[in-house]
Amino acid sequence: MLSKQRLSTFFRSRGFQVLLVFFAILALIPVLIRDSFFLFVFTLIFIFAIYAASWNFLANSGQGSLGHAVFLGIGGFASAIIGGKISVGIMGVLGVTQMPVGVLSVFVQVSVLLIGGLISAGIGLLIGLACVRLKAWYLAMVTFGFSVIADTLSSQFDSFTNGINGFAPTLFVPGGYAFYILVISFTVISIGVMYLIMKSRMGLAFRAIHGNEAEARMIGINTAKYKLLAFTISTFFAGIAGGLYVFFIRFVDNSIFSPANSFLPLIMTVIGGLGTVSGPVIGSIFLTAVAQILTTQSVTQSLNSTLGPFFPKVGYVGPPLTYLIIGVILLVIVIFSPKGLESQFRKFYKYLITEEKRDKNK
Amino acid sequence: MDITAGTIVLTLIWGVAVGCIYMLLATGLNIIFGVMKLVNFAHGQFLMIGAFLTWTISVATGLNAYEAIIISMIVVAFLGVVVERLTFRRVLGTEKLNEIFVSLGLIYIFENAALLIWGDSSQHIVSPFSGSSLNLTTFSITYDRIVAVFVVIGVLVAFGLLVYRTKIGLAMRATSQRNGTAMLMGINTEKIYMITFGLGSAMAAVAGGLYGIIFTFNSQSGAMPTIIAFAIIILGGLGSIRGSIVGGLLYGIAEQMATLFLGGIWASAVAFALLIVVLIIRPNGIFGEKGE
Repeated sequence: MLSKQRLSTFFRSRGFQVLLVFFAILALIPVLIRDSFFLFVFTLIFIFAIYAASWNFLANSGQGSLGHAVFLGIGGFASAIIGGKISVGIMGVLGVTQMPVGVLSVFVQVSVLLIGGLISAGIGLLIGLACVRLKAWYLAMVTFGFSVIADTLSSQFDSFTNGINGFAPTLFVPGGYAFYILVISFTVISIGVMYLIMKSRMGLAFRAIHGNEAEARMIGINTAKYKLLAFTISTFFAGIAGGLYVFFIRFVDNSIFSPANSFLPLIMTVIGGLGTVSGPVIGSIFLTAVAQILTTQSVTQSLNSTLGPFFPKVGYVGPPLTYLIIGVILLVIVIFSPKGLESQFRKFYKYLITEEKRDKNK
Repeated sequence: MDITAGTIVLTLIWGVAVGCIYMLLATGLNIIFGVMKLVNFAHGQFLMIGAFLTWTISVATGLNAYEAIIISMIVVAFLGVVVERLTFRRVLGTEKLNEIFVSLGLIYIFENAALLIWGDSSQHIVSPFSGSSLNLTTFSITYDRIVAVFVVIGVLVAFGLLVYRTKIGLAMRATSQRNGTAMLMGINTEKIYMITFGLGSAMAAVAGGLYGIIFTFNSQSGAMPTIIAFAIIILGGLGSIRGSIVGGLLYGIAEQMATLFLGGIWASAVAFALLIVVLIIRPNGIFGEKGE
């Protein structure tokens, strides 16, 4: 587990400095490039980075979920509903119609997101209990089943969730750049925490279970306990990502439980690099950027004018073509580079270093 | 709605007809699992493509829908072989998660390719029996559903003969039991994998043709049948063909009954709840072997 000493060595370690520098660079980029679309894509990338990292964390313990959208959705719905109730309360007490912005509101926003994450983790614990004995396809199918059930339930209890028509949550902090800073703080902290856990003894147990569950049990690891822990922690972060996502797009409805949302973190992680820290982030940057750029107005129109005549049956060629390309990329990566883009970058980096040494030796 | 003995009998017959289609799909998925130890989550997409091909062929050439199914079956079998060679063969024997990733990639490719080629409007295959139905005293049933049952029985009998009466079938059974030993006995297991995958895809295509005659379909129609087929083979036991036949019938009837008594929205949620309960009690399926 995490001890004080470990934490203090972490704060002095290079990894922590890298994280800080990374954070600073990310915070500065939108200041240098003042473009609202750019800011939008960047915010989305880092929300999905948390989501993908949470999936990766779970997969690292040998559990591949096909229903992570359940937790994205629960986190989103919970924080949006609770946030709405709190904002009504605060506005009632203060007697104003607009939420005031200040230190308190940032605190409220963060707590609402954390509560969303905790509720998601609580339900994650229950679902994890059901899934703890399942493997591979069975687990995939059951988690997928839970996403279908979540969708049905949220339609059935529409008076509570308002999931059919959807609603807009009240944001406590200003949108745009301020929200971006909130998102990257959450991203850096979440990924940092998941990294620390993966490096700890607990992470070792997860990897042992991933390697071979029977052997892990034989050497004395309580596999059920660790699998449940992985499930709960992963769903906590997925819930936080859901909260951020809902507050960012300012809308939530039942479509958040869609299979596409369940498959998203998986595809990002696999493209980036399964089981690594940077993999989900790389995958999120790659996939979100590709999807967002290919579906912008100008690109869609130019695609339509060039490729439209070949496919007369569809109104917009862009979106299906984008997903088709994503499918091909996924296949190519799984078959030819199962460790993802991360391993390719690493190879390239190593190549550069050896090149340098060779130059020096000459 | 009044629930009388007549409606229950009708629902039963409908359930059998729908169950037959799922049964065929599940059997295809199951033989692929039995021989290759691989679950192809993109199996329902073969059904969707089979339905679209049948529709295209019958519209373009004016062929009878049931004749068009045969052509689409052959085309999809070839597609299956190509898919197996290019994708699944390369990840076979590596981590189980990789098979799920490959299936997912295939789902994205097939669904969006179908969307690009055939558009997003729902289609319906017109068969020679469309609109006519068999009138019994208190209720009627369309001929298409009756024909579907017989087509499925025909395909399954032909498949049974192939597996239990031919040399290829013997090789398939040997590979499914011990692929290493089968290889040592001189069986070209890679060829058997290819044939099996082609056969499974062909069955999905036939199921797709029948599905397209009975229901309307679009490029997204493959997802739900895959899940249902998977539920069926879990209920019946992975790798057991008799299990998938019984499971298919049970599922079809249960689904139609749930729709009759609870309403359409609950059909899929109830199916999943059942699947989850079964798996929680028996993590390897009802008739599944105990692993490790």
